Amino acid sequence: MAEAHNSEGIQDHGDAQDPAQPILSAGIRTFTFPDDGVPVLRGIDLAFLPGTLTVVLGPSGSGKSTLGRLLAGWLPPGGGGTLHGFLELAGTRLHFGGADHPPGPRINPSAWGRQVGFVPQDPASVLSTVKATVAEELAFGLENAAVGRAAMTAAVEQTAALVGLTELLEHNPVQLSGGQLRRLAIGCAVIAGPRILIMDEPFASLDSAGSARLAGLVRKLVKRGTAVVIFSQVVDAPLLEAGTWLVLAEGSIRAGGTPAELLARPGMLPAGIRYPSGPSGPGQDEAPPTAPLKPHVQPRRQATPAAPALELRELSFSYGAGDRTPRRRIRRRGAAHEPQGTPPPEVLKGISLAVHAGEIVAVTGPNGAGKSTLLRHLNGLLRPTSGQILVGGVEIAGTPAGVVAQRVGLLFQQPRDQLFERTALREVHFGLDQLYSSTEAGERASTALETVGLAGSAHGHPVELPASSQRLLALATVLARNPSVLALDEPTVALDGNGLARLDAAVGAAAEEGAAVVLVTHDLTYARRMAHRVVTLEGGQLLP
Amino acid sequence: MRLNPLTSLALAGATAVITTAAASWPLSLAVAAAALALAVRGGIARRLLPAAAAVLVPLCLSLLIMHGLFFPEGWTVLVQWGPARITVEGLAFALERAAQIAAAVLALLVFSFSVHVPDLVAALSARGVQGRFAFVLASTLTLLPAVTSRVHRIRQAQESRGLVIRPGLLHRATAFRLQAVPLVLSLIEEAGTRAAALEARGFSNTGPRTSYRAVPDSRLQRTLRAVLVLAATAAVAARLWLGRAGT
Ligand SMILES: Nc1ncnc2c1ncn2[C@@H]1O[C@H](COP(=O)(O)OP(=O)(O)OP(=O)(O)O)[C@@H](O)[C@H]1O
Ligand SMILES: [Mg+2]
Repeated sequence: MAEAHNSEGIQDHGDAQDPAQPILSAGIRTFTFPDDGVPVLRGIDLAFLPGTLTVVLGPSGSGKSTLGRLLAGWLPPGGGGTLHGFLELAGTRLHFGGADHPPGPRINPSAWGRQVGFVPQDPASVLSTVKATVAEELAFGLENAAVGRAAMTAAVEQTAALVGLTELLEHNPVQLSGGQLRRLAIGCAVIAGPRILIMDEPFASLDSAGSARLAGLVRKLVKRGTAVVIFSQVVDAPLLEAGTWLVLAEGSIRAGGTPAELLARPGMLPAGIRYPSGPSGPGQDEAPPTAPLKPHVQPRRQATPAAPALELRELSFSYGAGDRTPRRRIRRRGAAHEPQGTPPPEVLKGISLAVHAGEIVAVTGPNGAGKSTLLRHLNGLLRPTSGQILVGGVEIAGTPAGVVAQRVGLLFQQPRDQLFERTALREVHFGLDQLYSSTEAGERASTALETVGLAGSAHGHPVELPASSQRLLALATVLARNPSVLALDEPTVALDGNGLARLDAAVGAAAEEGAAVVLVTHDLTYARRMAHRVVTLEGGQLLP
Repeated sequence: MRLNPLTSLALAGATAVITTAAASWPLSLAVAAAALALAVRGGIARRLLPAAAAVLVPLCLSLLIMHGLFFPEGWTVLVQWGPARITVEGLAFALERAAQIAAAVLALLVFSFSVHVPDLVAALSARGVQGRFAFVLASTLTLLPAVTSRVHRIRQAQESRGLVIRPGLLHRATAFRLQAVPLVLSLIEEAGTRAAALEARGFSNTGPRTSYRAVPDSRLQRTLRAVLVLAATAAVAARLWLGRAGT
């Protein structure tokens, strides 16, 4: 099949398809997770025709990711949960009756995967973990389908060009930035030319070039007869091109129609849906377009003229210097494969920045520019190869990260990297008793959970929370410590409208209380609305 | 020259088999020393030595206790407590066995620490080894680095929340108890999602598969591998034959 790659790198589907015949359809009466009484999905009827783009919009917790994984065969009914209803792929219908019809049919995930490409919400979960380079990771699915080497090489190159990974083909997948990883996950899903492509929040973490590329890719795929399904809680501009919007709320489809129809009738879209172009949704057009949220308090430049809350002086950094690979091995390998003595490229090149108490600075920049790398320096998780970091006027060199963390709170780009405890409450509580008495620690933990609206999930397992709640929980762990410097890495990603409101309130409040905030985002509108100052990190340098 | 991983595997395997079969302590010591020298040259000694110690120390101790104390044919008694006696012959036998095992273990460890795993997997699948088996092998060999990087991530999350770890191996080791439970939970959790992704990408297909990575090979290496396999077989055969002839 893969031999059929055309010049634009998208596979033609070998067999002719009837455009009126859905590739995938589903009739879900109920779907229930094991040891969970209430169904997460109910009364859903869907059919995806070739050459169409369908967008499923829903707020956090509405069941989007569950529905996506179910349709993609990543959550096979049986082990993963109980489905009453049917799934039909390319004319073959599987009826699932639940407990009364044991054992029921089984989805063959690899047969399913040949027709259905899936980009999960967490792109890291597609990685095979045994492949050493991006190119091999892309080829993994083709290897398993016994595609010949020539066709495979061509497909890898074309797919990399489509998603913007050409420069990174020889990189190790575990060292990619968040946006680069998303591109890789998309590449892995499209490389084998699936007849239907399902993507869960694919625009999250992509820079503007990446979003444009993805929009172009979707357009091309649709034109060639692929059915594309996108799950999202943000109405990104490319989604306006969809033929159908479906609204998912509390596990069932509430409305459907063309984007124009749904946007025309106010109240059709649940409140949680976000419009990145500004807070005004449909029907709220009269509202002032971009009400600035930054605190009106001016940053206290005058009050503490000597010491900004956070100051970076000529910060430079390259991965590899602090790398844990034994140096001798690198040298020996270098002798064999690489031109001798190429030092690892500098990610940060002499960055200087001062942030005053109460000031909010937004950092934007392309994928892989080094934004996350920069933030990891602020609390000492990474150490610069040269330059200084001063928190409250004191240099942090030589201070363990755990001590710097008393004053600097870091929200990681992937909430999953930040959460490690068994319950949400324990998660927020971790480390608090070093700062406060045990009663106060307990109070602070519950207050922080309330601030982000997770008081109800205090005893839930962090891993089982929806992505939006995971982000908020991670935020709570940072807020509970009351840091004087807040470093937030793409805090808006995965948040729906309600979550975003909570984030805004929390960040605003922290800044009013005198915290210096550095936040990384790709959402320029959001950056301008929230921050006193927007800087761009590009080519290792900060541009105003 | 980049060795084909199968060639290095053949080298390590044949070395281990031949030293075991030869049961000559000068050879064992020479092989062990050579393996250590290779490890130092390859820059893997720092990772290899702890692993080697973890395997060899308990093994050698139990050998010493078993044979050192209770060697029936020993008659030059050094010390005696009741039925247990240390004999010169027992000690010599135990040391000889220990050297033999150390040589074999070190040879195999040098291989497993220095092999480029993706090359090995590619080489195996190119020879029609089942994808699932090749994958299991690869994930076993990458397990240690994977676990280490996971522990590193958890530790970073904890440090960001005030866990103070002073520099030094000892401090890290004592802090490890805080990472152990999260580590196990996250590994289990991840195994589930990973399995779904792998299945969907067709890794359990039973049919033929291809390999994207080209692994270097040459006639010389193929010949060398054949010779090594023959030599190892011959060593075992000779050992068995001599053993039978001896008794
Ligand atoms: N552990 C690592 N080892 C080596 N290189 C790395 C490592 N982590 C990141 N990199 C590289 O450093 C560069 C900067 O990565 P970083 O994660 O800081 O980017 P970013 O600006 O946050 O991008 P994104 O918008 O995609 O999140 C990238 O090219 C990335 O591939
Ligand atoms: Mg980043």
